[in-house]
Amino acid sequence: MRIEEGKAVSPSKSPTMADGVERMDNESIKPEKMFTLKKWNAVAMWSWDVECDTCAICRVQVMDACLRCQAESKRDFYGKQDCVVVWGECNHSFHYCCMSLWVKQNNRCPLCQQEWSIQRMGK
Amino acid sequence: MITLSQRLKKQQDQGVLNNRISVRDRLLARELQELAQVLPTNCLVNHDNVNDLSSFMLIIKPTEGFWQGGSFKFGVNVTEEYNMVPPIVKCLTRLWHPNISEGGEVCLSLLRQHSVDGLGWSPTRRLNDVLWGLLALFTDLLNFDDPLNIEAADMYRTSREEFQKKVNEYVIKYAID
Ligand SMILES: [Zn+2]
Ligand SMILES: [Zn+2]
Ligand SMILES: [Zn+2]
Repeated sequence: MRIEEGKAVSPSKSPTMADGVERMDNESIKPEKMFTLKKWNAVAMWSWDVECDTCAICRVQVMDACLRCQAESKRDFYGKQDCVVVWGECNHSFHYCCMSLWVKQNNRCPLCQQEWSIQRMGK
Repeated sequence: MITLSQRLKKQQDQGVLNNRISVRDRLLARELQELAQVLPTNCLVNHDNVNDLSSFMLIIKPTEGFWQGGSFKFGVNVTEEYNMVPPIVKCLTRLWHPNISEGGEVCLSLLRQHSVDGLGWSPTRRLNDVLWGLLALFTDLLNFDDPLNIEAADMYRTSREEFQKKVNEYVIKYAID
């Protein structure tokens, strides 16, 4: 539920940052703005540093059922949870449920913006 | 804020018991909490109805730049399809700005639903990103080259003084608390 502080840091560059960041990174910024930027990074990077085990779309561990399946409590209908994990060629992983909804909007990995193609699926 | 936090807490607790809470509301409960944690002092989040997390006002009071001294209200509407679609954001305060129309349309790339350049909406974005994007419209993201309010951008090019004067006029008329 909360940002896990231990994992939140390490503000490395990422392609999913809002377009404001590039410009905010240049030298002409005042100290107080740097502070703001750092705070932003810490939050924006959250999904990056835990990317291996957390779905960056719904932010639930990929090994658990996605937020949607939890909300719809699919377990009740099928008796068993069948929310699988999908890995892209880019090696980013998501819940299959989450990613299949997103590719309908835009067939790119939301983390690295590469064209999305499935490498493997499973648990 | 206390009321909202309590409401968020309550909603999360209920979430464990009641699976009927939508994905959007689950995401919102979390993201609004994060937003409250990083909200700069010149910004305010205001829920008219604490029972409805999906519709709120974001008030920005720029501390520098052309719009300094104004208080600008943005209406944020988070539809049921969130986070597959961006929140709908409208500026409710009239202002003279190249990237915000006088009717309140906001030109911010991360609020665009469809984009191929990677700058548009993505489900990995959060309400925090929306806040920082809107804040940046008053500073770093301010863009005179691809304007929504062409007249405002032209005016800036012709005369910065005239532009600032018109901005001030609007601020005094519409954006003072
Ligand atoms: Zn997911
Ligand atoms: Zn699922
Ligand atoms: Zn990727």
